[in-house]
Amino acid sequence: MSLSADRLARAYRNGFLPGSRRTVFRDLSLTIRPGETFGLMGNSGAGKSTLGRVIAGLEPPTAGRVCFHGRDTALMNRSEYRAFRRSVQVMFQDPSAAFNPKKTIGTSYMEVLDLIGTPRPAQKAVIAGILESVGLSGELLGRYPHQISGGQSQRLALGRILLLDPEYIVLDEPTSALDVSVQAQILHLLKELQSERGIGYLFISHDEAVVRFMASRVGRIEDGRLVIEGEA
Amino acid sequence: MNPVLEIDALSVTFCGKQAVHAVDRVSFSLGGGEVLALVGETGCGKSVIAHAVMGLLPGEAQVSGRIVFKGRDLLALSERERSAMRGKDCAIVFQDPSRALNPVHRIGRQIAEPVLIHGAGSREEAHRRAAALLERMGLSPPGNYLPLYPCQSSGGMNQRFLIAASTILDPSLVIADEPTKGLDPGRVHEVEDELVRLTGGGRTALLLITHDLAVARRIADRIAVMYAGEIVELAENDAFFDRPSHPYSRGLLQSLPEHGFVPIPGSSPSPVSPPPGCRFQARCRDGKAVCGGQHPDLVSAADGRMVRCWQCR
Repeated sequence: MSLSADRLARAYRNGFLPGSRRTVFRDLSLTIRPGETFGLMGNSGAGKSTLGRVIAGLEPPTAGRVCFHGRDTALMNRSEYRAFRRSVQVMFQDPSAAFNPKKTIGTSYMEVLDLIGTPRPAQKAVIAGILESVGLSGELLGRYPHQISGGQSQRLALGRILLLDPEYIVLDEPTSALDVSVQAQILHLLKELQSERGIGYLFISHDEAVVRFMASRVGRIEDGRLVIEGEA
Repeated sequence: MNPVLEIDALSVTFCGKQAVHAVDRVSFSLGGGEVLALVGETGCGKSVIAHAVMGLLPGEAQVSGRIVFKGRDLLALSERERSAMRGKDCAIVFQDPSRALNPVHRIGRQIAEPVLIHGAGSREEAHRRAAALLERMGLSPPGNYLPLYPCQSSGGMNQRFLIAASTILDPSLVIADEPTKGLDPGRVHEVEDELVRLTGGGRTALLLITHDLAVARRIADRIAVMYAGEIVELAENDAFFDRPSHPYSRGLLQSLPEHGFVPIPGSSPSPVSPPPGCRFQARCRDGKAVCGGQHPDLVSAADGRMVRCWQCR
């Protein structure tokens, strides 16, 4: 039941000249298992976020395969692909940009539940349960995104992801925009949720100390290649 | 020696629908060649102090207290007089160089700009000074860097260019507002070296605003910890990191990676209606009855540090 990348490559067109391409990474393989954290490091521009986006299905790979439960995601039928996209979620760095500024947090949450077909009367209880697990009070639901702090919106973003009951979360620099004390709170929360729910994380960060604290296996992207520690 | 900057009971309140008390009776002084780090979490008022010193606060901000810069009270000056000082005597380096630099102008022009604005030299003179400054910063030959556009160099390089632009007129006070935020670890050291070089002559004072305690530890002489608009501890660098006194300072250090990311429970109080007693009381492990009732003052402890806590006396 793993999420894996098999000889993945991603290149972008470079400028307007046909044929000129910039390869972000190539020949990259890794596997994330349920309940496990794979830590991904690398300098700015190394391709960490691009890899996260490709694995979550937000961008297609140029070559290679992303496999979910052993199935190549490119060959999935519509309903399988929808299940894959729902089960693999992404949490981004900038918490203030995670929510629609014109909607209250409660509305943003309900939209997600509408999408997955939770009946309206049952939604309130579901949301209350999720807020409790991310350590927030229901009072926040009536607020707009600009009325909440960075740490709170990162918790809320995590809560909205949990509504979908994902199997894997790609965490793209989830604490880089936060203060040290809030960072510590969020890291502990992520660990707690992982042990309760058995979610697998792809944890992306340029901060080595944070990655080592979170991950059981660690890899680094260097010059477009993934070097996994202990697997030289 | 007279301090370069002396702040006395500075308070800043933003008067919107509700009055937000962003900074509450903050006092400190800063001498030439000295580095003072203001640390604390987002929203504690660090940047508001920086903007108050620079005179960049929006109109709805009510400022009281005194900001004495080289013997003149800045709050008593007209906007015209302050504008003449800004960028010349006191300069600010903003966070996020990719937004602080103008994307459509070459680096050389942006570094030279303060010279032209303050009428300190001709166009040729300004460019000569920009080149000489880059040379001194170890970026040689400067001809390789001056024609670049911001998008052609890394965030760390841009931050160094921004420091160059802020300091080309050799100001007595430099305020660096989160200068290392978002940079790769290797780049952080380059920017730190640049900041240390500034104060090396013993004339320029640096007010470093950061939430990165590791950076503060490496380059600051003294550390001022802010919480909910107030300074809660002000101490020498070594004394602070070896023996933090205030429970919030201790909590901050505990949340660092080397101490295992132990979080402080709860979150900061609202700046609209801060609690009457100690503002950290609700999150404090050592809290007693007196803490909730009476507001503690910032008082001197035996080793010369200042602490705002009933239990640390």
